[in-house]
Amino acid sequence: MAGQRVGVRAKEQADARYFLVALCLFLALMLGFPALANLWYSFSNFSFRDLTGGSFAGLANYKQAIGNPGLWSALGFSLRFGLICAAIELALGLALVFVLHPLLARRPWLTGILMLPMMVSPALMGVMYRLILNEFTGVIPAYLQILGWPINFLGKNNVYYTVIGIEILQWTPFAFLILLTARQSIPMELEEAAAVDGAIGARLNALVILPNMIPTIIIVGFIRFIDSFRVFDHIYVLTGGGPGNTTTSLSIYIYKLFFNQNVLGEAVAVSIMLLVASLTLLFAGLRLAVRTRAR
Amino acid sequence: MLRRKILAAAAAAVITTLGATAALADITILAWPGGPAEVALRKVVDQYNATAGKAANSKASLIYFSRDSFFDKMLADAAAGSKEFDVMLTATYNVGKYAPFMTPVDDLITPDIKNTFPQSAIDTQSYNGHVYGIPTDLSLHFIYYRKDLIDKLLSDDAWKAKYAAITKDKLGTEMKPKAPADWTWDDFIATALFFTQSINPDSPVRYGTVLQMKNLLFNIMIFEGAVASYGGNWLDKDGKVTVDTDAFKKGLDVYKKIADAEATPGDSNSYEYGDANAAFGTGQVAFMLQWSAAYAELIDPKQYPAIEGKFDITHEPAGPEGIKTHFHTLGLGLNKASDKKDEAKKFLAYLATPEAMTMYTKEGGQPPVVDKIMQAVAAGRPDMLMMGDNAAKYGFVPNGGTSADALGVYTNMAENFTGYWNGTIDQATAIKKVTDYMTGVFKK
Repeated sequence: MAGQRVGVRAKEQADARYFLVALCLFLALMLGFPALANLWYSFSNFSFRDLTGGSFAGLANYKQAIGNPGLWSALGFSLRFGLICAAIELALGLALVFVLHPLLARRPWLTGILMLPMMVSPALMGVMYRLILNEFTGVIPAYLQILGWPINFLGKNNVYYTVIGIEILQWTPFAFLILLTARQSIPMELEEAAAVDGAIGARLNALVILPNMIPTIIIVGFIRFIDSFRVFDHIYVLTGGGPGNTTTSLSIYIYKLFFNQNVLGEAVAVSIMLLVASLTLLFAGLRLAVRTRAR
Repeated sequence: MLRRKILAAAAAAVITTLGATAALADITILAWPGGPAEVALRKVVDQYNATAGKAANSKASLIYFSRDSFFDKMLADAAAGSKEFDVMLTATYNVGKYAPFMTPVDDLITPDIKNTFPQSAIDTQSYNGHVYGIPTDLSLHFIYYRKDLIDKLLSDDAWKAKYAAITKDKLGTEMKPKAPADWTWDDFIATALFFTQSINPDSPVRYGTVLQMKNLLFNIMIFEGAVASYGGNWLDKDGKVTVDTDAFKKGLDVYKKIADAEATPGDSNSYEYGDANAAFGTGQVAFMLQWSAAYAELIDPKQYPAIEGKFDITHEPAGPEGIKTHFHTLGLGLNKASDKKDEAKKFLAYLATPEAMTMYTKEGGQPPVVDKIMQAVAAGRPDMLMMGDNAAKYGFVPNGGTSADALGVYTNMAENFTGYWNGTIDQATAIKKVTDYMTGVFKK
């Protein structure tokens, strides 16, 4: 009987390998090849005039990238933006999970409504808010004006907070969805046992639910940070990275280097550095989550 | 039976292939999407297919990208050697950038073409001694102003007195109001202050003007009229960068003074073409500097009822060197990778005829055509006469403005100058950054 079980398991593993081969081939083709091509580009002096014929330039592009003050300014913005957005999205997502979990357990279809902001393309989100927040034609400034609180959301003093606010409004549902799934996966028996031991309400959440959700919180935090760190669409639509370069993220910086300033090698070098940093962070996040779960 | 089926399938495949080969004889035009330009070009292409194209056994069809980052998408395709389009868009400010991916059309520039375009228009599509495109749309800048408000300012003694008091208080000189056609940049600033409610609570509009100060390269083109009127240019005759000059500083300060006085909407730092039109169109702004293309939109009473019949246009304000307006043309040229260049040239030759351009103008296009064609269509297009006149008298393209690095320069200026206007960097830093960048790119 045991031998039969081992046989079944070996067959499942073999099947899994076949499926994985197809997936790996797909990834190698769609992601691996462009990544390798970009790696070569980052070490070459290619240009639009000669996309395939650039010669080896060593570390020149990386040196140029690191020596450009624009990189550090954009990096600073992206880091601040990523940290602030990830922290607030996590906090809001968690709060929503604790508040709405009982309701959503009875009416799960409501989750779909909460996901709506996530389904809008970020560029369209930028266009929408450009209209909604416009001083003359926007709905929100008009109502605030009536209430005697005139706020210029896209003015130079507020635009930084506005782009953060839009990112949070759009992506908190993502954090919420993953955290909700983690909350719902906590066994009911555990909650009942905790209740028998006197842990109910806030104590239950603090001592039982939250510790069980920590690996998910870590992963969601890292994913949201990486995603916000490489923000492009809605900021590009709303501000173009300005005024000046106060809202220029690393992605916008790379785009402008590539298409507007024609320094393709430098732009790709920055992209490669960004990719390495993102992979490192994600790997670190995964390890931390696995270790936390193991404890 | 099986053999018969195979033979039938093979025959079908041969017929399909022959059909596809015939279809390959058609040419594809990648053109500027949306607005009157698209409507007009569609009409012209239909006319070509029904006349000259039919005679030459050639058919033209149009494809479009979206406007957002249009040139970046086209650059990526052209650089990759795409053959999806045979005719592609060109613009004065990037003809140098696209030249390596295009075939010059010098042989189309015959004496006959002067019956359609003045030499100055053809020059806007030239780079390194070659012509790369047939110009289709001219763009320059006007002052769009509220006639009702300016008329009252010029006739009402109480308003005149208030104007004098505000200019004395804010600018240190007592000034008299003038008609927009007589404005200097000082008058532009003074009138913007007068019509701003936070400065003059009696103003019937919220703001004097609306500046486009988003970090966007096209906004710099509007701004450069001020610089040029103070005698500024990108490069001198020796190719030396001339941004660190009084002309640029004075031009920059026109915007800075208005922004600091909040005589432009508080979110102007995120404004571009459409936002400025929206602000002016609500009737809450007295005047603005805007692209010539806006006229056709703003006269539509369905879109902008608040300003119906209330506004007019004139040239940009004057500086010590007179009146200047940055201008450029869009055009259509040949994709170097195309296999059908001869056919594509036939279409471009047709496009350059007086008949095609007359039709294009009547249908809403804004081509830089000769006076004879302008006059023929002027009754329905009053902006066209002023465009032709202003382009001839005041139009300029900065030295280096058609080079391969022009877009990079505009982008760098946008980043640094909008930073100065919005207080994130000082003027000296903005000018130094732009000078350093330009020195680097023009040294290559």
